[in-house]
Parts: sequence; C-alpha cells; structure tokens
Amino acid sequence: MDQLPGAGVRIGIDVGGTFTDFVLSDPRDGRLAFFKEPSTPDDPSRALLVGLNALLEREGLRATDVGALMHGTTIGLNAIIQRRGARIGLIVTRGFRDILEIARSRMPSSFDFHATKEAPLVPRARIVEIGARLNARGEVTEAPDADEIARVAAALRALDLDAAALVTVNGYANPAFELDLCQALSQQAGGLDITSAAAIWPEIREYERTLVACLNAYIQPLMQRYFDGLLAGLAERGVGAPLLVTASNGGSLSVGSAAARPVDTILSGPASGVMAAVRLAKAAGTAGIITFDMGGTSSDIAVATGDTPELATRTDIGGLPLVLPVVDVSAIGAGGGSIVWVDPHGLLKVGPQSAGAAPGPVSYRRGGTEPTVTDCYLTLGYVDPAGFLGGRMPLDADAARQALARVGAAIGLEGSVEDVAAVTADGALAVTTAGMASALYKTLAERGLDPRGFALLPFGGAGPTHANRLAEEADIPHVVIPPAAGTFCALGAAGADLRRDFVRSLRMPLTEETAPVLAEAFAALEAEGGLWLDAEDGVGKPRRFARGADMRYRGQAYELRVNLGEDLDRAAVIEAFQREHERIYGFRDGEAVVEVGTVRLAAIGPTPPLQTPVVAERPAPEPKGVRRIFHKGAWTEAMVFDRAALGAGSVLTGPAVVEQDDTTSIVLPGWTAITDLAGNLHLQRQAQ
Amino acid sequence: MKLDAVTLEILNNKVAAITEEMCLTLQRTGRTLYVKETADFACALAGLDGRFFAYPRSIGVSGFVGLECGPTIEAVERTAGPLAPGDVILTNDPYRSVGLATHLPDLQLIEPYFHDGRIVAYGWCFVHCSDVGGRVPSSISPLNSEIFQEGLRIPPVKLLRGGVLNPEVKLFLDANSRTPEANFGDIRAMLAALGAGRRRVEQVIAQHGAETLLDAQTDLVAFAEAKARAVLRRIPEGTYRFSDYLDDDAATALPVRLALALTIADGTVTLDFTGSDPQVATAMNIPSHGRPHAWLTLRVLALVHTLDKTVPLNAGLLGPVSIIAPKGSIVNPQEPAATGVRHAAAIRVNDLLNGAFGLALPAVMPAASSGTVIPVVVAEPLPQGGRNVQVVEPMIGGTGAREGHDGVDGRDSGISNLANNPVETVEAELGVEVLRYALRPDSGGAGRWRGGCGMELTFRIETDGASVLGRGMERLLFRPWGRAGARPGAPGALIINRGRPDERHLGKIDMLSVAAGDTVTFLTPGAGGWGDPLLRDVEAVRRDVENGFVSVAAARADYGVVLVDGAVDVAATKALRAAAVAEPRDVDFGPEREAWDAAFSPEFMGRLNLRLLEAPLEARQRMRREVLERVLATLPEGFPRRPAAPAAADAARRTLEAALAE
Repeated sequence: MDQLPGAGVRIGIDVGGTFTDFVLSDPRDGRLAFFKEPSTPDDPSRALLVGLNALLEREGLRATDVGALMHGTTIGLNAIIQRRGARIGLIVTRGFRDILEIARSRMPSSFDFHATKEAPLVPRARIVEIGARLNARGEVTEAPDADEIARVAAALRALDLDAAALVTVNGYANPAFELDLCQALSQQAGGLDITSAAAIWPEIREYERTLVACLNAYIQPLMQRYFDGLLAGLAERGVGAPLLVTASNGGSLSVGSAAARPVDTILSGPASGVMAAVRLAKAAGTAGIITFDMGGTSSDIAVATGDTPELATRTDIGGLPLVLPVVDVSAIGAGGGSIVWVDPHGLLKVGPQSAGAAPGPVSYRRGGTEPTVTDCYLTLGYVDPAGFLGGRMPLDADAARQALARVGAAIGLEGSVEDVAAVTADGALAVTTAGMASALYKTLAERGLDPRGFALLPFGGAGPTHANRLAEEADIPHVVIPPAAGTFCALGAAGADLRRDFVRSLRMPLTEETAPVLAEAFAALEAEGGLWLDAEDGVGKPRRFARGADMRYRGQAYELRVNLGEDLDRAAVIEAFQREHERIYGFRDGEAVVEVGTVRLAAIGPTPPLQTPVVAERPAPEPKGVRRIFHKGAWTEAMVFDRAALGAGSVLTGPAVVEQDDTTSIVLPGWTAITDLAGNLHLQRQAQ
Repeated sequence: MKLDAVTLEILNNKVAAITEEMCLTLQRTGRTLYVKETADFACALAGLDGRFFAYPRSIGVSGFVGLECGPTIEAVERTAGPLAPGDVILTNDPYRSVGLATHLPDLQLIEPYFHDGRIVAYGWCFVHCSDVGGRVPSSISPLNSEIFQEGLRIPPVKLLRGGVLNPEVKLFLDANSRTPEANFGDIRAMLAALGAGRRRVEQVIAQHGAETLLDAQTDLVAFAEAKARAVLRRIPEGTYRFSDYLDDDAATALPVRLALALTIADGTVTLDFTGSDPQVATAMNIPSHGRPHAWLTLRVLALVHTLDKTVPLNAGLLGPVSIIAPKGSIVNPQEPAATGVRHAAAIRVNDLLNGAFGLALPAVMPAASSGTVIPVVVAEPLPQGGRNVQVVEPMIGGTGAREGHDGVDGRDSGISNLANNPVETVEAELGVEVLRYALRPDSGGAGRWRGGCGMELTFRIETDGASVLGRGMERLLFRPWGRAGARPGAPGALIINRGRPDERHLGKIDMLSVAAGDTVTFLTPGAGGWGDPLLRDVEAVRRDVENGFVSVAAARADYGVVLVDGAVDVAATKALRAAAVAEPRDVDFGPEREAWDAAFSPEFMGRLNLRLLEAPLEARQRMRREVLERVLATLPEGFPRRPAAPAAADAARRTLEAALAE
C-alpha cells in the first residue's frame, strides 16, 4: 500500500439488497458524487466492480485517482441469519459441551409454547471437550498433556472442519493460555484455523465470548474468499488504493483486519448510516438526533447525543446475542413494503408481513395484490407515480387505489374508490406512525431520554417521506433531511474513521492497592490498540483512544457502563461512576466500595473529515408544479419542488412536496421547511 | 365496538406500548437483582373496573394479565375515602387484596389517573422486593405454615396522598424489612414507572380525547375476548379430567394431589379443581379466591396466544374462563394459609391444565415439561465473618414433545423464563468450581418425538462450613408424563460426591451442609415424549446418538434402533422393532405413579378430598395425613418407588374404603 487514505478521491460503497450505492468524495474541491448500481446478490463484488467502473468513467477519473475505498458488506450477517456459514467445530473445557445448547437458558417467548430455541451454530456432534481450564484468577488449574492434545486434534481431523473456535472456562483472565492451545492443536490438525475466544474478545461470560469466537470462525472462510475475489477484481482494474471495511462500531478496519476478525463487521451497514447522520448533525449544529432509517421491510432508529452514537454491548443477531460494541440500532416497525390488512375481528393492521421487493407493492405491478405502505404514499399524493427512482420505474397508482379501497370496504368504509382508498391509506399510515412512535418512546425510555429534546434525521428510501408524520405523532419539534438521504450508508462509509474495540475483564474493588492494576490494564489496551493502528494505517498518524469501564457498587447485581476521560486516577474514575449513577438512579453512595468489571478501550484513527459542499443561496425557489395530497380527511393543494432547485435560505410552507431521484420529502400543513448552507432541509413546526 | 377500525388499532398499540414503557422505566431505575436480572416485576393499565386493558408483551412477568385491582381500590376507598389525584395505593396481602398480591414480597402499587376531575384509568405495577421480614431472610420458605411467618402484611393503604409520601407507612415498612433501603429503591422505581404511565395516558388523551381512551378500554377487552372465544371454539366440546401430583408438601413425605375437570362449551372454559387436596400446612397454597386467577389460568392464556399470536394481552382473554376451586383447598386457601412458594404448586397446575387440554387437543398440546425450577444456592462463611450467599444456577429441565416436534432441551419457559448465570461470574464471586453444566443424556422421554433433556449441574465446594439450598426440587418421584404412547422423562436426583466411594443419593433438601472438597450434582428431570418411540424416524434416533442426546444402549432399548459404529444396522433395527411388544398408554405417568394409583386410585382420592371438604378447615390436613399414613403402613418400604404386590394394593384400597366410610 503505497497510497494512504486521503491522498486521492475517497469512495464509500454500501451493498444493499436492491442497489449498491456509491458516494465519491473529492478532497480537492469537496465535491460529492452519488451513484447507484443494481445489486448482484449471488456475487456482490460484481455490482461493486461494475458500478465503480461506471462511476469513475462518469466522473472522468482514472483507477489511480482513487485514494481509498470504504466498503460495507452484509455477507457475514446474511450467512449467520440464514445459517449458511462454514462447517465449524468448537473445542471447549470438559464439562461444558452444551454451552451453545444451554446458552442463557431463556426461550424467545413466554407465552408461545410452540416456540423453539435458536438453532446452535455448532451441532453438539462437532463440539469436542478438552481437559483445559483456569480459575477466576487466570491461573491454569488443568493443562492438557501431549496425549490430550493429540486426542483432541485427532477428533478435529475426523470432523472434517473448515474452521474452529476454542473456549476455556475463565480463559478471559489469561488469553495467552488459549493462544498456545490453539497453536498446538492447529499444528496437529492440519493447520486448521482456530479462533481463540479469549484472544478475540477477553470479556467475562463464557457463553457470549464463545459466540463471538464461533461467529467469527463461522463467517471467516466466506469473508476471506469474498475479500480475495474483490481485491483481485480491483487489481485487475488497476485500483491499487487501500480497501477499508466498515465495522459495526461505526468505524472501519483494513481489509486484512476485517478478514481476520470479520465478526467486527457484521452490522456495519446500519452503523455507517448512523455515523453519516452523526457527522452531518454535528456540522449542522444540531445537538441530539434520532436517526430514522426507513427502508423496504422495516424502520430503524438510533440515538446520538453529542457527536457519538449510543453503542450497545448486547445485540441480537438472528436470535444470538452479540456482546461486541455496536452502534445501537433498534427496529421500530413498518417499512415501505409492509402489508396493510384487516384482522378477522375487524382491526386495520400494518405488517409485520412485508411484500419485500418481490412481489412488492401493488403499484410495482410485479404480482403484489396486497397494498403496502408505499401504495399508501402513492394514494395520498405523497409520491409521484411517474417520478419514482427518477422516473425509471413508473408506478401504477390506480392499482394501489383499488387495492386500498378493497381493504377500506372490509373495515366498513363507503364512498368513491378514490375517497375510500385515501381514507384507508391515511388510516394505515396513522396506524404505522403510532406504532413507530410507541416503539421510539420505549427505546428512549430505556435510556431515560425525552424525544422532545432531539431532532429526527431521516434517511433511506422512505425516511424523508414519513419523517414529518412521525415527528408530529411523537412530538419531535425538528426534522433534518439530508441532501443524499437515499445513499446515506455509502456516505457514512466514505467518512468512517479507523476504529477497533479492546476489552479486559478485571472484576476487582477499586482501592489504593488495585488502582495500579486498572492503570496497567488501560496501558496494555492502549499499547495493543496502538500496535493495531500502526499496522492499519502506518506509524505516526493522528490517533485517539476512548476509554470506559463497567462499574458497580459492591454487592449490586448489575454494572453501569461509564465513559472515562484521560485522567485514570482512582478518584477521577470513581467520580465518573458516581456521576453516572446519580444521573440514572438519582443518588450516589459515597461509602460503598466501587468495583471495576470490564474495562474498554477504542483505538481510533481519524479520517480527514469529508468536506461539505456549500449550496447556492436561493430564498424563493420556483415550484415545478402543484399536487393534491390527502391530509386529515380532505384533499389539499401542495406545491411540488425539485430538491435540486432549492438553495440555502429556501423557505417552504407546508403542505409541500420535495422530490429528488431517490426519495420524496413531505412537509405537512403546519410545518415549515428551511434549507441550510449544506443543503439540509430543516422542518419545524410553525408557531401556533 | 364503539371505535372505528383505525382508531382502535392505534389505541391497541399505544396502550400496550405504555405498559412496556412503564416496565422499561422500572427496570432502568430499579436496582435489585429481582428487577435487573430476573425481571420479577410487571406494569399494566387497568380500566374503571380494575381489570387490565393493557399489559406488556415482551418484558416483566408474563402471567399476571388476569389480576384484578378492583377489591384493593374498594378496600382503600372504604377506609380512607375516595381517591384523589396523586394518591398511590400500596398492598402486599393476598387476602386483603383478594389475590392481587399472591405472596408478601410482591409489593403492589396502584395509582388512579385523573382527567378533568374524574378517574380515566389506573396504573399498576409490582416488584418482588428483597425482604419483607418474617421467619427467614428473603421472607419465603416452603416450611412456613402460616402467613404470619412470611413477613409484614400490608393491607391496601395510601402510600402517597396527593403526591406526598405518607411517612407513617414508610416507618412501618422500614421497621419490618431486613433490606429497607433496597425496598424503598424498588418503590421509587415503581413510582417512576407509574409517573411514566400517567404522562403517556395524558398524551393519549390530548391526542385522541378521554372518551376515546375510555371506549378503547372496553373495546380492547371485548376484542381480546372475541379472539379468545374464537380460539377456544376450535376445541372439541366436552369434559376432560386429569390429575397430577407434587412429590410432597415439603414438610411431610405425602404426595399432594391436584385434580381438574376441564369443560369446554361454546367457546367457554370451566376449570373445576374439585378433588384437589385441602390447603397444605406449608407455603405452596395458591390464593385464587375462587377467581380465574393468574396462577390457575396461565396455560389458558398461553394456549390462546400460541394459536393466535395477534391477540392483545388483557383481561378479555379470561372472559370465557370460569373457575370452581373449593374453599380451603390448595387452589383456594383460607386465611391464614401461607402462600410464599405458591409458584411451586402453580408449576403443577400448569401441567394439570396442559394434560387436560391435551386430551381435547392432542395435536396442539405438548407432553409434560420437566416441571421444576430450582434456584441452587450456596451459602459460604466469609473470613471476615458473615456469609456469602449466591445463586449458582437456576436449574430447569426441558419442554415436552408434541406431535411433529421434539421438546426443547434444557429450556422451559412454562412458568418463568429466567436467564441463567455465567459460570465465570459464579466462580468469581463464590468458592465453588463448576465441573459440569450440561444437558442430561437419556433423560428426555422416549417417543416418536422426544421429550427435552433435563440438565446436570455438578460443582465442587471449596470452603468448609458451606451449605447448599435446593428449594423447588420436584419430579424426583413422579415423572414428567409422556403422551400418545411415549415414555415419561427421567426423574430428577441429587447426588453428593458422585462416582466416589462416599457417593450419597439424597432426596429433596431444604438446606444441606457440605464440606470443602465435596461435589454436589443436581440432575433435573427430562420432559415427556410424544407418540410411540418405535415409530421414531430411525435417522432422528441416529442423529440423537451422534449428538449425544441419546446413548447407543437407549437407542436400542427405548427406540428399537441398533447402531454399530454410529451407523444404523437396518436389518437388526427392523427385526428388533417388529419383535417389540408395544404397550402404548395415552398418558404414561411412569411406574411410580402407576404404583401409587394402584393403591390410591384417582376415584378414591377424589372422593376422599370431597369428604375432607366437609370437615372443619383446620382438621382436614390432619385427617388426610392419618388416612394416608394408615394405608401406607400396609405397603412396602420405599413405596411407590417399589410397587405394591397386587394383593397389597387391593388391601390398601380396602383400608382406604374403610377409612372413607368412617
């Protein structure tokens, strides 16, 4: 790698189910260029390479002008959800063969006695026990002798595995023990790739750590093949720029790191979108945001206060818990493809079934017969049937109306097809929006936050169309619609920092005697993080470290995740915990012993910020037409604008429609939309 | 329905979400283990009749949808006058709250929500708090014989008046708990949850109007009831009888009988518990007050929800359910019966309903689950004095098989759905080494569909002077039954120093003293199978053996499948299966229950319990014990594990008959 990121153009790429999105950032003039290529799900790299070529050609650039490629992929996630990963084995301390079967012993539902538990990633027959164990202090209490190693290695060979994971009880307290074991076993098992759980994520809790290692082994061969193919394809086209892979924590890794630790990348798609939103909000001077990503099958939100999104350290991946820090994205309900239907006892329902891309909404004319949320937008006049995807895909508005009118008849509505369809569509969106707002409240209640202090930042194909309704229902006073709402995840990828998380579980009281242990632990993590950054990005580049710790009062049943500053003095660490405890529980206990569980460090190599293009001033934009939209039971005339025709200072009064190739923004009556210097559309409730 | 299809669906969604937001608020602000880890709390919204019109789906205790706030509210209004804005009611007394509380550690709060001077809804929540005094720390012990031993009884009182804490109530609370600060932390978290509910109810009224909220309350209950009836109409009409036993009542070795006649007629369900034992002198009584109480109807809720996942959770689900529970029986005890571990009996009530519904819906209902929840606790002396008391693991078994589906191994959400403890956190906090935490091969009942495996927990004690508590051990005697020709699951066991010369097999323990170096092994029961094991797919048997759920020997003995070096010997299997003499039973309770029934037939036991109902309340248990002990004296040592010879069983029945005639 002779070129460092930042020297040429940076290209962010997001591979979605339908489209592969590209965002090109040119550091010379701050220009952003966007491109969409239909995805090729059988081999995602094909669309990527074809699209990249087309984009460069369109922009008049050569392969050597590319400074860095930042790429997110869902290959790993899909393999996990569809259980299509590698044939892996698991080596585990004797007595714990059922670690995956037992898991945390909970069933997915308390009410449904037909529910089943998740299928284990590794069947019991491919789990081999080994006489290897430590105690809670990290001292080896049982080490396998040569015979035991040979027996286990033979068992692994007989299983004919693609890869394996290894976990020892209390291994987190002394990761070197597992690394030696892995090496010894691999040597005798034909060079089998064995992921050590303690090495990949040395956090206390054996089941969760085992899963991290198993997930990594499960997708590693697949991801390695994918990256190899992609790199070869890029080389063939003369693109020698470094390839970076976006990560679930909102950062990115070199392709080498990503191939070694693919488990760090599995939730990178949504994380990238949130990161783009966070950066955009910061630039726009908006303090707290709730991102709202509405796509075809579902809608997701994430919360960011200040300039960092909330991270979760427990996420669900296809029924399996993941404890790696990831950008905390929560599903809140319907997407554009969610089906509108009537319950046998007469209630109007939306979702959870989705028509997806096939057959899709009725208006797509691909065989869908049940109306969807997208059909509702069309029927209410929100979306122009001739303008979908920039006019490349005309929609059948009449078919949508007919289908919705049938649903309306089933709930007892009478009148003309047009009216019944509109009332039904409006009702369906009211149901959808109420569901989203309720879920949003729950997500914020978990964190003790009030939505009225946040701005809603929509993206995804339907986000800007639905955002104003959601803001009104949820009592959110401000909506910020970014210029490139439809290719947001790719934009997030283009601006991603390098970032990897490191942990160590200490589990000790924080006293005068143990304070040095804490400092040493952070120093060790920092050294580890520094080495990683050196290898990723060359020595001497700017870097920073974010620190945190899981802490509690002695005797408490739960830990609080506390962010720590540079000052790791005992008093400062305890004060940070006391403050967080007071924020959440309303009091502090000055007497109690404070314990430190897991300490966390993120090593971050900042990427130069993307430049934001400045849009021209245009206080009074010309509408391109007028359209009727249905609002609160009546049709009303709305001005229609082209997004490109808006400039800084443009003020629109709702009702208004703003169209662009990849999405449509709706401004409801009672709201005003102002465009800022960066081209963001700010929706605010008009003073009453 | 008063509301239109759109508004009602919007309110349906919103009110359920309010209760979940209340729960999330409670969980975030609560600080005790019960709140953070085991989620032993709940929040809901009650209508003007005190019944819940909205209940959380995904958080908190799932089964309390059927609780009623009405009697508690009336009791307060009788003594303290009408409710005013900012009032909050507190109670924990199962008798004075008429079953809203079911044991004393559950602190119940109710706040009336006002709009324009009138009540428009009630917010409710409860938390299982750490300690309310009484004979033992944590307040509950199976050996308590009266509620007076179980701690402070709080009749319905106003904890807050007009938003201000009543300091005298707090003085009583603090003086009667070993953990007053933790309790008040729980109360604060509940008040935060009630406040969150109040604000959201106000918001709903601002958006939709108070009348719409009131209409939605009745509409949603009616909607749920209509959906429940639609599900129940799918059940063939008739009366289905089932009985089951708890191994004992924790104080004596005598089994405890539960009996049910389930009648289905035109979408309604009648649960008649006549024939169940008198209330016991231990803490396993279920204070139902003869109502369709949560602890008696959990399986009905689960059945409706399993067959129609869109049904809203509210009181309407129990609209079609009526109960006959004789006064003074274990399912409708009279004051001052102890109720602290009522969930132990509730687990068996769940089996009972499952069995009776299974006779009506054989293709829907599973065989018996393992039917036990044992929080295995170790108490060890600390060097600086005092004791370190920690849960090692909450031990459960698996779920029963049903037609077309094997049971689930090592998980069971039937009565509670608790998370286990990571072994590494246990070892960091307690002087034990966990040697084995695993599924228990060959414990799942053999069947065409196999019952879920039970579990094994073996740990070594590292501190002298420690003790082990295993409350909730059940199904050590009477096995989880199999259905439709399948076998029951293996019974549970407790073994000290397994595989060593000083190995000891113990029965139930309350508290067991152990020495450093001792190993303790808990084996939980397997669940029942479904269908004739000889019809099980040979490949499924081979796979079970490959994965170690079934041994080669059991594959041969129970399934008639011969495996040689992991491969099926097709010819030998065919021959073995053809030669097997099937003795299929519709319900296979296992040999111990068969031996028991041979001497104590269901018909006799039903009559005995009817006779006991005529006796004075306080005499019933003594009379029952005398009769059973008289009969048992004629039976062999170790009965019913050792069956009685036919003549002895006949003699026993005659003795019983004579006793009944007295």
